[in-house]
Amino acid sequence: MVKKTYLHEKHIELGAKMVDFAGWHMPVQYRSIIEEHKNVRENVGLFDVSHMGEVFVVGEDAEEFLNKLVPQNISKLTDGKAVYCQLPNRDGGLIDDLIIYKLKTNTYLVICNASRVDEDINWMSLNQRGYNINLDNESHNLSLLAVQGPKAVDLMHKLGYTDDQDSFTIIEGKLLNIPMYISRTGYTGEDGFELLVINEYAEHLWDKLLEEGKEFNIMPIGLGARDTLRLEAALPLYGNDLDENTTPVEAGLSWSIPKDKLDDYNGKKIIMEQLENGAPKKLIGLKMLDKSIARHEYEVYYQGEKVGIVTSGGVSPMLNANIAMAYVKNIKEICAGSVVQVMIREKLHDAEVVKRPFIKKRNKVTRS
Amino acid sequence: MSITEKILCSKSHEYLLEENGNYIIGLTDYAIEQLGDIVFVELPEVGSEYKKGDTFATIESVKAASEIYMPVSGKIIEVNDAIADAPEILNEDCYEKGWLVKIEKTGDESEFADLLEYEDYKEDLE
Repeated sequence: MVKKTYLHEKHIELGAKMVDFAGWHMPVQYRSIIEEHKNVRENVGLFDVSHMGEVFVVGEDAEEFLNKLVPQNISKLTDGKAVYCQLPNRDGGLIDDLIIYKLKTNTYLVICNASRVDEDINWMSLNQRGYNINLDNESHNLSLLAVQGPKAVDLMHKLGYTDDQDSFTIIEGKLLNIPMYISRTGYTGEDGFELLVINEYAEHLWDKLLEEGKEFNIMPIGLGARDTLRLEAALPLYGNDLDENTTPVEAGLSWSIPKDKLDDYNGKKIIMEQLENGAPKKLIGLKMLDKSIARHEYEVYYQGEKVGIVTSGGVSPMLNANIAMAYVKNIKEICAGSVVQVMIREKLHDAEVVKRPFIKKRNKVTRS
Repeated sequence: MSITEKILCSKSHEYLLEENGNYIIGLTDYAIEQLGDIVFVELPEVGSEYKKGDTFATIESVKAASEIYMPVSGKIIEVNDAIADAPEILNEDCYEKGWLVKIEKTGDESEFADLLEYEDYKEDLE
């Protein structure tokens, strides 16, 4: 059965086009994907991302347990800090990508992809033996609303938010008298917040954000623009750009992996080996040199030879160009500035290899 | 008479409008509404011939690429270059300005049998 978030009725009332996504009936767009996209870049947008999974990891071995699961160094997290993580299998392939928040000693919140919650829980359970921890999947009890864009902080202030938290931090607080976790994270490349509340508060919070956000030109934003926004910011989407046959090194996520982590973790051997010597494939950014659009699973050619495959592709409303991410053979000839071809409806179209992200990210700068 | 009173529609959402013995082909407003923002249009060469049901064009919205089929057999005699440069015209007006191609029909009348008048087409959608 298709699941509905607690805001489902709201989306219908707003006239959203609905689609099935990862087992959920979700809004893909309310008005126009391009308009919604631009509004997040210029003003502020409100997203219902309640389909995401929330798993609390609690117990005296929580830190050690999470260190076993991810390449990132969980021991470096202080209270209220978050880190972008991957969940590799024993071969380094990715079961999911995650954000892990340290709420306090022995208490962590793991946010996972809607499509992967069950796999993640299963994997965590398989790894649980010997660790004194408790896995608490609260996904069905919690709603997650994302407020994203340069004016997100103004809207938050209007609602009584007084903190000045850094990017990738979380606080437990109240907004409009609603108890919630407020994290300064998102999936758009903009500054913004994600508000985690128990389901019963979701509708009231949604309505208030839209109402009070009017003066900042707030718009509800569907999954369509969520996808184009994250693509411009070159943020990977699990299922498109990440899967169980792709390591974080191949996925261009080496920046997120510490080389000096002492703890052993699943897939460490292969991940460290690839960090040292390179991986068989690599993720590249592409900008189409004509008006054609590269899409998921289109083939990539270099000098007449098939070298890879597009994982995500589409329009960039801000660049007025069409962009893509692709996996290609890891050869040095394919680098920023070189031209490859994408096979689109049996014709080859030139694309330039460009640096990722495609646009400059504008997350709040973290104070050191 | 409004334009929708003069068109015939296919079940795959193309419309056909007679003009001086030839036909204009486009996409219905319902189809455009479903697609959302149109961002790319690939049109055929003038002079190429297609059978009823052949793919003759591709239209891409932000979300996906969609193939467009010939509602009847015909030879392309004109393409709408304006929409290749500004595909958003289709979202604004898919009949007067946002047509796709003009054709000279090459099949017989029987090919029109499964095309619907706009009112019936709309009813079919419900």
